[in-house]
Amino acid sequence: MKRLLAIVVWVTVAAVGAIALTTIAWHRGEPINATWFVLAAACCYLVAYRMYSTFLAAKVLALDNTRATPAERHDDGRDFVPTNKWVLFGHHFAAIAGPGPLVGPTLAAQFGYLPGTLWLIAGAAFAGCVQDFVILFCSIRRDGKTLGEMAKAEVSKRGGTIAQLAVLAIMIILLGVVALVIVNALKSSPWATFTLAMSIPIALLLGVYLRFLRPGRVIEASVIGVALLAFAVVAGQWVADSPAWAAKFTLGGVTLAFALIAYGFAASALPVWLLLAPRDYLSAFVKAGAIFSLAAGILLVRPQVLMPPLTRFVEGDGPVFAGKIFPFCFITIACGAISGFHSLISSGTTPKMIQREGQARFIGYGAMLLESFVGVMAMVAACAMTPGVYFAINSPATVVGATPAAAAATISSWGYPVTAETMASLARTVGEQTLWNRAGGAPSLAVGMAHIFSRTIGGERLLSIWYHFAIMFEALFILTVLDAGTRVGRFMVQELLGRVWKPIGRMNWYPAIVLSSALIVAMWGYFLYQGVIDPLGGINSLWPLFGIANQLLAAVALVVATSILLKMGKLKWIWVTLSPMAWLVVVTMTASYQKIFSGNPRIGFLSYANALSAQIVAGKIPAAKINEMQRVIFNQRLDAAVTAVLASMFLVLLVEAIVDWHAILARGKEAKLHETPYVATQWAEGD
Amino acid sequence: MYATGKIENRKWKMEFVAGIGKLWQAIREWSGDAAYETYVRSAGRQHAGQVLSREEFYVEQLKRKYSRVSRCC
Repeated sequence: MKRLLAIVVWVTVAAVGAIALTTIAWHRGEPINATWFVLAAACCYLVAYRMYSTFLAAKVLALDNTRATPAERHDDGRDFVPTNKWVLFGHHFAAIAGPGPLVGPTLAAQFGYLPGTLWLIAGAAFAGCVQDFVILFCSIRRDGKTLGEMAKAEVSKRGGTIAQLAVLAIMIILLGVVALVIVNALKSSPWATFTLAMSIPIALLLGVYLRFLRPGRVIEASVIGVALLAFAVVAGQWVADSPAWAAKFTLGGVTLAFALIAYGFAASALPVWLLLAPRDYLSAFVKAGAIFSLAAGILLVRPQVLMPPLTRFVEGDGPVFAGKIFPFCFITIACGAISGFHSLISSGTTPKMIQREGQARFIGYGAMLLESFVGVMAMVAACAMTPGVYFAINSPATVVGATPAAAAATISSWGYPVTAETMASLARTVGEQTLWNRAGGAPSLAVGMAHIFSRTIGGERLLSIWYHFAIMFEALFILTVLDAGTRVGRFMVQELLGRVWKPIGRMNWYPAIVLSSALIVAMWGYFLYQGVIDPLGGINSLWPLFGIANQLLAAVALVVATSILLKMGKLKWIWVTLSPMAWLVVVTMTASYQKIFSGNPRIGFLSYANALSAQIVAGKIPAAKINEMQRVIFNQRLDAAVTAVLASMFLVLLVEAIVDWHAILARGKEAKLHETPYVATQWAEGD
Repeated sequence: MYATGKIENRKWKMEFVAGIGKLWQAIREWSGDAAYETYVRSAGRQHAGQVLSREEFYVEQLKRKYSRVSRCC
């Protein structure tokens, strides 16, 4: 009877999911309600979790609850801490979900809502969740070893070094591009700049509180901090309204870029308890609150999705970033569908805290499904605004025209009507000076979120507060990635340089700290600066570069996972990791090739550089601008080189792995697995 | 009739309070608020014998946490 009931329930869930998916896929003409998106995503996730992840857990990985996990064997209350599965789920989710699943779908909305939504759902179920789950499993079986260490042991020594270098490279590009997103969100916005600037003294205050007054009382400090932060959002309006103060906080792109670079350096070189940790606590609470309220807002308001399923830009001449759906939709949406970065969390803290192997399914596969859901909600929020407004916010001036009137005319001529007056009045209601040309995803997502929130609480009157709350939360998210990433990057630099010259590797030698911090900051700062001065808006070249790097790292993780499955004797199920890996290889190699060699200057780095050189030769660039243009040309060539190096590093690893697979399969080489030996659990059954 | 209703009511209340307590504990563990208690209780620490003060543990724990990838894109 119970079995029958279960079958009925699951058939219903699957049927509802199928109906919802068909509806959003075949819908044309009239706007469609966001409820369909929520239903389609939720039902697909439930079915994927119930069916596919169970299959992975039982057949492919054969999770064994009688096997003691690293947390049980090494329980030291510091790194190895047995943690309740719900708590660990929250912990893991907070670690993997950053600004990526919000920004990527917002940018990919230029293709229309359909390609991004389908990729978010299918990519998560068959690629992203599988990667997170399998890598978590592999790391649990190896005492919590990192991806790099596993690559070294299971693929080859060189494989380990490549994985390490790839991690450092993607970190640098990631930090550069997310910093650019903040710059575009804060540019000429005194309100947002003030609020974010205030988060720094608030963090310092909390740092002192947590260190000296009430050591380790995280919750009470966070409550104080969140209250102060909310006050800073409100106070931002007073700053924006006062001409004298507004002038002080109205900053240009280059100034903001240098401010962020200085901040990153400080966060890396100062003691963690002073700035980095308290900011991170604040951001964790704000993150949880904001994601929860976005979900609640969408369910309560059930907004109409005004963006068409497919726009005219599927052919590749999109204003936000150039390139066709294939491969660029799959590069633009990395986080939310599959993100290589997650494999670092899955092989970092989480495997050292899990109580039972069986929980790896819920935590590895489940948390990624939730992140994908955040991506779908971001897509809904971006598509709930008029398409004309979406394109007005996200298109660079060089593509649509420098004046509001010219830009409005260009965008309207594409069939997405918008007027200069609409944009001016929208900017006024959200408390901004302008919303034109604010590429990067943050402002458009904030407009979408503010509309949804204001229809739940406050109406038009609170629109500006909601907008700045949304900007603050995105910027806070990103600052957390920025400072934590800079610090970890510093350790990586110290470790790598320490191999050449020992003293630089000493983690508490001050000159080494300053030097390596400066080095890592200079590297991502360079990408940030090049994005700020790029006439095409920066996002156009940097976001795809980041996407390629992130997907290549995912491919590295899947190569390692495939090697391990093969050595475990799971040849029959090898397609589980092999097919997403093959897909990523095709996507990243096509994208890398196009970004380097495409003849279209908006896509190809080299042809853009050549087009600019030709303009200089033809005397079309004013003399005063020539130096800046030379720099842009150099940057494009640098980006091409970076892409080529990343792609070839991956290919070396892939070839090494394939040679190894061939040796095992065809030549009968012994498949030596480096798992830690089985130890039976001492804990009673059940949680 | 009345008496059983009252008992059930009280039972429900107790379960509710226990549930809130569990949720609060989960939030404390998630945020790191309960990290020190977990450390003091942990099996490995009990073998080792010596124990850090709350303040020492806090600083040491932060250093460890932020020396590896803890936040993602």
